[in-house]
Amino acid sequence: MPYKDDSDGPWGSGKKKDKNSNGNKSPWGGNSGNNGSGPGQGDTGIPEIDQIVKKGQERLKVLMGGRGGSSGGSGPGRGGAPNFGKSTLSLILVGIVVIWAFLSFYTVKPEEKSIELFFGEYYDTGESGLNFAPWPLITHEVLTVTRENTEDIGVGGRGGRQDEGLMLTGDENIVDIDFQVVWNISDPAKFLFNLADPTETIRAVSESAMREVIGRSELSPILNRDRALVSADVRELIQNILDTYSSGVNIVRLNFDKADPPGEVIDAFRDVQAAEQERDTLEKKADAYEYQALAQARGEAEQLKQEAEGYKARVINEATGEASRFIAIYNEYVSAKDVTRKRLYIDSMEKVLGDVDKVILDQNSDAGQGVVPYLPLNQLRTGSNN
Amino acid sequence: MNRSFIFLILFVVIFIGITSSIFVVDEREKALVLQFGQVKSVKTEPGIKFKVPLIQNVVRYDDRILSLDTMPLEVTPLDGRRLVVDAFARYRIVDVVVFRKAVGTGGTASAEVRLERILNAALREVLGSVTSNAVTSADRVELMTRIRDAAITEAGGLGVEIVDVRIKRADLPTQNLAATFQRMQAERERMAADERARGREAAQRVRALADRKAMEIVSEARRDAEIIRGEADAETTRLLADAFGRDPEFYAFVRSLKAYEGSMTGKNTTIVLNPDSEFFDYIKESGSK
Repeated sequence: MPYKDDSDGPWGSGKKKDKNSNGNKSPWGGNSGNNGSGPGQGDTGIPEIDQIVKKGQERLKVLMGGRGGSSGGSGPGRGGAPNFGKSTLSLILVGIVVIWAFLSFYTVKPEEKSIELFFGEYYDTGESGLNFAPWPLITHEVLTVTRENTEDIGVGGRGGRQDEGLMLTGDENIVDIDFQVVWNISDPAKFLFNLADPTETIRAVSESAMREVIGRSELSPILNRDRALVSADVRELIQNILDTYSSGVNIVRLNFDKADPPGEVIDAFRDVQAAEQERDTLEKKADAYEYQALAQARGEAEQLKQEAEGYKARVINEATGEASRFIAIYNEYVSAKDVTRKRLYIDSMEKVLGDVDKVILDQNSDAGQGVVPYLPLNQLRTGSNN
Repeated sequence: MNRSFIFLILFVVIFIGITSSIFVVDEREKALVLQFGQVKSVKTEPGIKFKVPLIQNVVRYDDRILSLDTMPLEVTPLDGRRLVVDAFARYRIVDVVVFRKAVGTGGTASAEVRLERILNAALREVLGSVTSNAVTSADRVELMTRIRDAAITEAGGLGVEIVDVRIKRADLPTQNLAATFQRMQAERERMAADERARGREAAQRVRALADRKAMEIVSEARRDAEIIRGEADAETTRLLADAFGRDPEFYAFVRSLKAYEGSMTGKNTTIVLNPDSEFFDYIKESGSK
């Protein structure tokens, strides 16, 4: 009798509490983990529960043993049974309720959603928090919805195939593509009910879609500028195909890890790049030459021009000077023509004859008549040199 | 005591009876109720269902979209080139009765064997009727639809609906890969050579153009310089002519004197003079008088 009061109290209150406030999960956690998360219940409650559980187990054993004995027919007169009948029954009931509650209440984390099935039929989608699905009428399955899952495709021969990443382009070239599909669940019910093998389906669809898009385009754009475009196309295509399956899968994004020419020909591709660089270098060098040559030419041109200008200035100045000088002399000469003429002549002769070797021959004199004058010019010259 | 024991047995029997007559069809399943191997009813809708215990049993089939990957298959398109095609199908069991009759107790495993055969036949037929270019490139979508349609008719006999057939890979066989690589390599080599040649061409063009421009600039400058010099000479001539024109005879006199001074300098000149020359006028005069 005292057991019943003691035991009924905490369990009853706990149950009521839970029904009143659905969000409080501590009593159930406490029950399942024995004393894991039940400090809110008060310290006195836990040892009592332990005791009760222990004693309940003992009594259950006794009860089973007793029943076994009675069914075996060896001891029909076990008088102990009616003594603990009521309290044991209540304990069993409590145990059943606990187990039932444990099966019926479940938590859904923020990144998860749950699907509840009423006798196998879709009933409700559970949001995060504490959820209630009365077992066995309603069963539930929890799915991680918002977490992003990645599928690597083309990386390192899955299933022993080395050439998985090799794809044929529209212009019949081969390109080595590794990419990642990142997906999560947009509709947990569809996801659960429509696809038997979601991961494999996503992989297969992704590969097919990528090959389709690559097969439509040419090699060089894939390698360079069109990656983003290809990526967007493929993502859309995968999403469309998966939508036709009502898969409830959302393709978050597509990452291109690699879009390269295959290893066998990559050197040739690199050589093309090197050639492009070389071409650029040659052009740049030619440009440099051009700049240099033109600058030099401009400099030379300027020099020629300036020289000409200089010549002009010099010549004109000289001429002006000469003209002025002549005019000046002339003006004076006009006033005294003969004297000036004479003076100028004699001045010049003095200057001219002052320095040079002179030979004066009088051919008209009598002494020299009939004599052929011998003029040893060369001797004179050498003599003069000495 | 005896009564409670009987109750217990009764309870157990009833419990077993109820549990074996109730079954749940999941949202993901379809179920067949068989009575001694005979199809009694088909449960396609999810929910709680009943059957006669002991003599009826339930066979469940997956109602979700199932996947089927074919093994790589070599097909020969119209142009005779061989292609390795790897396709996959997505199918769903629509008619469980037909499905059961068609595949027996083998279930999906034996269904897939037959489906793959159907699929391979459809692949061969459709891909054999086009050229390899169509398979590897843009027409793929249309081909996949044709393969699916061909497979759908065949698969109807299995109670299976083919949702989708897609070509995963359509590649050249490994032997042809090497040839393709060689072609790609040659193509790249051509491109590289082209780049280099174009680079040299451009460089040469730029240099030649630069040379030409430089020559133009310099020659124009020369021309201008000569023009300027000419102008200068003209100006000089004009100036001097102006000045000297006042008395050409006097200019000739002055200029000759200057020329004498200029030309007969230094010790390398020997002049033979006649005493009759004007310069000696006064020498003679004093001597004769």
